[in-house]
Amino acid sequence: MSLLKLGLDEFARLDSPLHRWEPRCKLLGLMALIFSFSFVQDLRLLPLMPVAAFALFAASRLPLSYLTTRLRYPGFFLLLPAITLPLLSGSTVLLRLGPLALRQEGSLAVLLIATRFISIFTVGLILFGTSPFLTTIKALRALGLPPVLADMTLLSYRYLYEIGGDLARMETAMGLRGFKAHRLRRSALGTLASLIGSLLVRSYERSERVYQAMTLRGYGRSPRRATDEFEAHPRDLIALGGLLLLAITFAAGEIAMRLWRGNL
Amino acid sequence: MHIPDGVLPAAVSVAGYASAGALTWYSLRKIEQKHNPRQNIPQASLLTAAFFVASWIHIPVPPTSVHLVLNGLLGAVLGYYAFPAILIGLFFQAVMFQHGGLSTLGVNATMMGLPALLAYHIFRLRKVWGKESRVWTGLFGFLAGAGGLGLAALIALTLLITTIPAYLDAETEKAGIYALTLAHIPLMVIEGAFSALVVLFLQKVKPQLLEG
Repeated sequence: MSLLKLGLDEFARLDSPLHRWEPRCKLLGLMALIFSFSFVQDLRLLPLMPVAAFALFAASRLPLSYLTTRLRYPGFFLLLPAITLPLLSGSTVLLRLGPLALRQEGSLAVLLIATRFISIFTVGLILFGTSPFLTTIKALRALGLPPVLADMTLLSYRYLYEIGGDLARMETAMGLRGFKAHRLRRSALGTLASLIGSLLVRSYERSERVYQAMTLRGYGRSPRRATDEFEAHPRDLIALGGLLLLAITFAAGEIAMRLWRGNL
Repeated sequence: MHIPDGVLPAAVSVAGYASAGALTWYSLRKIEQKHNPRQNIPQASLLTAAFFVASWIHIPVPPTSVHLVLNGLLGAVLGYYAFPAILIGLFFQAVMFQHGGLSTLGVNATMMGLPALLAYHIFRLRKVWGKESRVWTGLFGFLAGAGGLGLAALIALTLLITTIPAYLDAETEKAGIYALTLAHIPLMVIEGAFSALVVLFLQKVKPQLLEG
């Protein structure tokens, strides 16, 4: 359960141009940049992506440890293609070590994937690290996220910590009563299934009380206008324009490179 | 089983968002038709949070342990709320723990959510043959759980093998997809057995939960 304590809003209250940027503009601008990064395939554009991402990260004044600690887990998932692709993919052998051959095409594919990953990852951290999570959800709602989805996101987020606490308590109680899941046995599987079943039943019953409490407070009567909360100043729009231009530049650069290669 | 950022080409990521958008629209339309959506929102939200938390429980499979995907079970319990629930769960995972990614959120949601909707329909079949019994509930719970994971694995592997620039010929790619999907069969069995045990528990303790 320690994962829950990571604290999404740990650095959301710092003061930086990115923290001050109006959340809707920030969401649009940074998401456009993320998609333009995923569009890049040309190796010559590769070095520019981390430069842009890290420049934004520096401007956000988020500590470097925020990036490095979060990079560890997803980086682990990239290890598999990073090891297999250079050895399996392609026909141009760069280096031969006994039965293993390091191939050029696979190595370049890994370089492309890793660079895109790091760049998108960094921009994603800036997007969600520089505003409180609830503000970002409200910005999504103001940008047209369907009300059912927005309500569900806010409510699940609200109860995530409580239900996580429920599970931790139930696991402690099981441990105290001698439950140890070391081997895959039917009884262990049955106990864990009852644990999850109980968690679902508890959450279901809690949701009935939550709905009654929400109804008493007027839930569903008069839909509030979500857009009133945000106000975009000219500087926010200029920053959005700048980032959209950067995203378009990456996309245009990629298209130009493809056309140029096609003409060779 | 999340596809991280940077792995897929932009066209696949955009197509993923388009399909996730279409599935969300379809699910929300079904929700509006069937229920009083406002009343079911707290219930679906808290169950979304519960499934999100439950997916961290590890099942011992010596010499290691696996965590369950639970998308089939989620489909069986939440019905048409399953797709929004999976979209939200994956969004949380991408933002909080950096599992999956923002550019691949649509792809991952389709990969997990489409099988969840299928699992919902599989699980509903238990009522087709007359009276509902524990055997039928367990069997269809198993099929929903195993089918949900199996289809998700098939979609994920197909996407990864065909889009990663691996310079493999089509036959090798096809063989790779089959081999890696077959490698998921033991996990499908565990996931199916677990889902069956949970639905049997719910049938005994809180049968309303299975009426979604």
